Amino acid sequence: MIPALAYALLALAGAATVWGLLTAVLDKPPGKAQLLFDAGVWVATAVQSVIGLVRVVAGYRPAETATTVGYLLAILVLIPLAWFWANTERTRWSGVVLAVAALSVLAMTLRLLQLWTQVPA
Amino acid sequence: MSSTQPAQPPRTSSGPGRVLVAVYGLFALSATARAAVQLATQFDEAPLAYLLSAVAGLVYIVATVTLARGDRASRRVATVAIVLELIGVLTVGTLSVVDPAAFPRATVWSAYGVGYAFVPLVLPVLGLLWLRHTRPTS
Repeated sequence: MIPALAYALLALAGAATVWGLLTAVLDKPPGKAQLLFDAGVWVATAVQSVIGLVRVVAGYRPAETATTVGYLLAILVLIPLAWFWANTERTRWSGVVLAVAALSVLAMTLRLLQLWTQVPA
Repeated sequence: MSSTQPAQPPRTSSGPGRVLVAVYGLFALSATARAAVQLATQFDEAPLAYLLSAVAGLVYIVATVTLARGDRASRRVATVAIVLELIGVLTVGTLSVVDPAAFPRATVWSAYGVGYAFVPLVLPVLGLLWLRHTRPTS
């Protein structure tokens, strides 16, 4: 992981969360721009996970290596699954589904950042 | 669209149910992944807590799938799974507060799910209410 990328991802995931909740409040299904933005957030998570996994393989040891690897892998499936689930029934609730995934990506990135920057016990 | 058939309750996977299934799926993933990591690396330290994570993961998986399907049999299985979930979070939550030494490592249900913003405590209640709300009329 690279902290700067993680911070950028936190901002992107935060924006995706707000956007999802906004379309839900406005009673609209997610629009094309929003879906593209969420896809972009996923690309950022994928870049982060690849960098993280490569660095772990190369020998970097975060606080809890197994947990970190688990997070780096699990974080990848959230947005694609939410994307699919939000599009198979397009209502205001699609936005909430996307927001749930984005908020989870945000929370997991925060936790990853913690694990990554802690010196192993 | 739904206004054309006002007599029928929504399917369990429809409308707000969509969000419920998504959150159940999220917990299925996190509890299962947590259990897998813990069972693989630190099983000796607190096997009970880790097995509970695995059981929680299984309960969440069953609830996710059955709520997404929503047919008669699925609704029944979903009800059982969610009642188990409620019992689990209340039991593990209480034990982990009363006797923290028995649960040195966190599970999703430790301290009523404090590590997950108490969503594990609220989720089964919402799940049961939703099953009630979507009960077939006939």
